[in-house]
Amino acid sequence: MLKIATTYVRVVDRVNYVLGRIMMYSLFAMIAILLWSTISKQMFVVPSYWTLEMAQFALVAYYLVGGPYSIQMGSNVRMDLFYGEWSDRKKAWVDSFTVLLLIFYLGVLLYGGIDSTRYSLEYNERAPTLWRPLLWPVKTVMCFGIFMMLLQAVSELIKDIAKLREVEL
Amino acid sequence: MSYELIAILMFSSMMLMLMTGQRVFGAIGGIASIAALTLWGTGGSDIPFSAAMKVMKWYPMLTLPMFIFMGYVLSESRLADDLYKMFHVWMGPINGGLAIGTIGLMVLISAMNGLSVAGMAIGATIALPELLKRGYDKRMVTGVVQAGSSLGILVPPSVVLVLYAMIARQPVGQLWLAGILPGLMMAGLFILYIYIRCRIQPELGPALSEEDVSSVPRAEKIRLLRSGLLPLTIFASMMVPFLNGWTSLVESSAIGALAAFIAAVLKGRMTREVFETSTRMTLAISCMFMWIVLAALGFGAVFDGLGAVKAIDNLFTEQLGLDPWVILILMQLSFLLMGTFLDDTAMLVIVAPLYVPLVKVLGFDLIWYGVLYTITTQIAYMTPPFGYNLFLMRAMAPPEIGIKDIYSSIIPFVLVMLGSLILIMVFPQIAMWLPNYVYGK
Amino acid sequence: QAPIKWRLQTYSGAPLGAHVIKPQIEAFNKAANGEMEIELFYADQLVPTGELFRALQNGTLDAVQSDDATMASPADISDFGGYFPFSSRYSLDLPVLFNRYGLNEIWQEAYDDIEGVEWLGAGAWDPLHIFTTEKKIESLDDMRGLRVFGVPTAGRFLSRYGMIPVTVPWEDVEVALQTGELDGVAWCGFTEAYEVGWADICKYALLNNVTGAWCGSYFANSDSWAKVPPHLQELFKMSMDQSHYYRQVWYWGGEADLRVNGDKLELSTIPAEEWETVVGDAAGFWDELASRNERSARVIEIFKKYRDTMQKAGVPYRY
Ligand SMILES: NC(=[NH2+])NCCC[C@H](N)C(=O)O
Ligand code: NA
Ligand code: NA
Repeated sequence: MLKIATTYVRVVDRVNYVLGRIMMYSLFAMIAILLWSTISKQMFVVPSYWTLEMAQFALVAYYLVGGPYSIQMGSNVRMDLFYGEWSDRKKAWVDSFTVLLLIFYLGVLLYGGIDSTRYSLEYNERAPTLWRPLLWPVKTVMCFGIFMMLLQAVSELIKDIAKLREVEL
Repeated sequence: MSYELIAILMFSSMMLMLMTGQRVFGAIGGIASIAALTLWGTGGSDIPFSAAMKVMKWYPMLTLPMFIFMGYVLSESRLADDLYKMFHVWMGPINGGLAIGTIGLMVLISAMNGLSVAGMAIGATIALPELLKRGYDKRMVTGVVQAGSSLGILVPPSVVLVLYAMIARQPVGQLWLAGILPGLMMAGLFILYIYIRCRIQPELGPALSEEDVSSVPRAEKIRLLRSGLLPLTIFASMMVPFLNGWTSLVESSAIGALAAFIAAVLKGRMTREVFETSTRMTLAISCMFMWIVLAALGFGAVFDGLGAVKAIDNLFTEQLGLDPWVILILMQLSFLLMGTFLDDTAMLVIVAPLYVPLVKVLGFDLIWYGVLYTITTQIAYMTPPFGYNLFLMRAMAPPEIGIKDIYSSIIPFVLVMLGSLILIMVFPQIAMWLPNYVYGK
Repeated sequence: QAPIKWRLQTYSGAPLGAHVIKPQIEAFNKAANGEMEIELFYADQLVPTGELFRALQNGTLDAVQSDDATMASPADISDFGGYFPFSSRYSLDLPVLFNRYGLNEIWQEAYDDIEGVEWLGAGAWDPLHIFTTEKKIESLDDMRGLRVFGVPTAGRFLSRYGMIPVTVPWEDVEVALQTGELDGVAWCGFTEAYEVGWADICKYALLNNVTGAWCGSYFANSDSWAKVPPHLQELFKMSMDQSHYYRQVWYWGGEADLRVNGDKLELSTIPAEEWETVVGDAAGFWDELASRNERSARVIEIFKKYRDTMQKAGVPYRY
């Protein structure tokens, strides 16, 4: 049991770390797309019409797939009015209950995401724009990000439980 | 279940969950999901995800990482060192001059990034130690850095105004313009306060000594003045093409990010480490914002679809039957109150959707209201128990500055900010003149 | 007994919704006398417009008012919803096409193929004009490179003249016009442009209209519809007709009035000979769509038949 937990935490944390490190550089992809949009406006009569949507897709991937790494970095704010004063142990205690709410949220998010992706595939859904990109690829990426976020939340839960039991993972 | 009951139930359970210290987006999204599954009926489970599609379609969101990145490049690369020196040698000789110069520095930094963290970091690492060394009062300088850096969200570019624009569906360009004069006015009032206070109590901000001043040759002084061009250039590279309609909002933000980056490279400050930290922190902060927005939009849709919004409208306009100004003041007060313990983004995305339509119905201008909201947020950042800038200050301040100092340092500045808030409420033109002038209303 | 509750979301934002749907819903609620209550939500309020169809299918929403194309309906005739280039000249053409020329049956058929969604009927809205902020359009060439907020099908057609239709949420159009994300709108006629304030930001209006009327529909979730007793179903359909009638008057009268008495937009036209080429190009576009599938071919067939009849009928049907 402990072994499974240890492996789970190690693998999930590692994978999300790597994903996050990759995603954080996609910032420059967004910058590049938007700069191209600026330049193409000056250069051609008809500027590139896919840039805004492409940048939006990139942003979605950026924050959804990069999300788990932000959890690892502890950058998601908490209201620490009381929380801030608690001991580590107490934090772990409370967290291991409240994180269930987070997990639940991510589960519902994922459920809706999968449903929406399934719909996109079934009807070959395209964005109603001039570019008309297929929507299932971006929705798949979104689901993937949410799924990894879910795995990360579970990993946080395991870490809290380990802390309470005073075991090393 | 009655609308009122749903409103109370959802709101109070969310508050409760926030109090337990879970990540803000988890608490908001979790309550939204529970309400969607239990109260909505068929199809409720799809709402949290459809909020993600909403976020995707809202294109000004793209400016968030750009403005955040600018701020980090600025503070990590210590691009502002020269700027600080400039104010130092020019303002030093008068009482409180260094503190006044720090406010000036903060205004310039505000024009180059969208949050207050950058100003905070620069203030705490460059200005604070210097000022303490020169015998400035520690409460004075801690307050100056906190108050000054909060200008980051009022002077364009501003992440908070972009988020507000999303909720209120108002043009970002006008909001930015509307923030400029109030920002400058507030800076002016800070300066006025420092000046008067140091006039009365010179020991709070001693003037630089004769030899200190003369140790810097005249040529060097002139050279330093030039460093002020950097922020102006970065600001202009974004704003000029934007206001002329050559580039769109999101394109301008990318130009701004690039400009900050190039400036750091040209100054030889873009080390590997600076690059890595700025990029990583941009992801961290962007994720924080965007996940809260995502969760809160889901919350908002559920709240709205269950009829809870109506309950609130009804309460304010019909049941209480209040005068528009009274309602407006009550709303500001409730923001101030919430700001003492609630995250500003959560406050914005949850409460503003209720208030904004009301503000409109009451006949107030939503651009002007955006400025009021932003100032309120600035105050919220600095007031205990929950305030980002307080936390940041606590983390960055040198050891001789205790938590007590930090808390008491903000009092006079918060009063000045409240004063500005009132001034802008009474004279809306302070905010509205510039956008009306530029967009020719 | 507790009233039946519906959530209905419209494609329109609140200012426009005040005309195109709100009076109807209020009247319906009153007439339903407590047996049923519809709550009206505006563009993107509960669900983003792109997700409307799926939300309807899943029952997140009980009913929707939108055109097929904007809500990205998967029906194979969805391109004909919204603005379809030169399919009509006047707003009365549309109900005639549906009620007398067989479009009703085709739409019915198309939506019978799709599970979970009930098509309730279509009606006419306003003509399509192009409003721009900086550039006055006086020839086809002036359209090149303009980014306009546009409906899908007409937008695709106009893109052959270098115009770039951009989709942003309806509520954001005003903002996007001011931030330069958009150079104009190709989404409505004069009445709406004035009503929602776009006329305040745009300077120019092109008089040539690409379509005589926008074609919008009402849809319901199948289960939600089945739960409504027959007399209320009938009442709802009557209220749809009431709404169609309200709009006919509002748009037709408003358009003429604002062209003559409105002072916010400078009018321009593309010379007749040049515009003829556009009309000609539309024929090619029609054929292109007819080749998509059998149902589309039938729709185009009907458009052609109708156009011929009207032309032969002469004044006042066609000039
Ligand atoms: N919603 C938030 N978590 N805001 C954090 C930002 C606070 C910070 N003082 C800034 O403006 O940079
Ligand atoms: Na700023
Ligand atoms: Na606070």
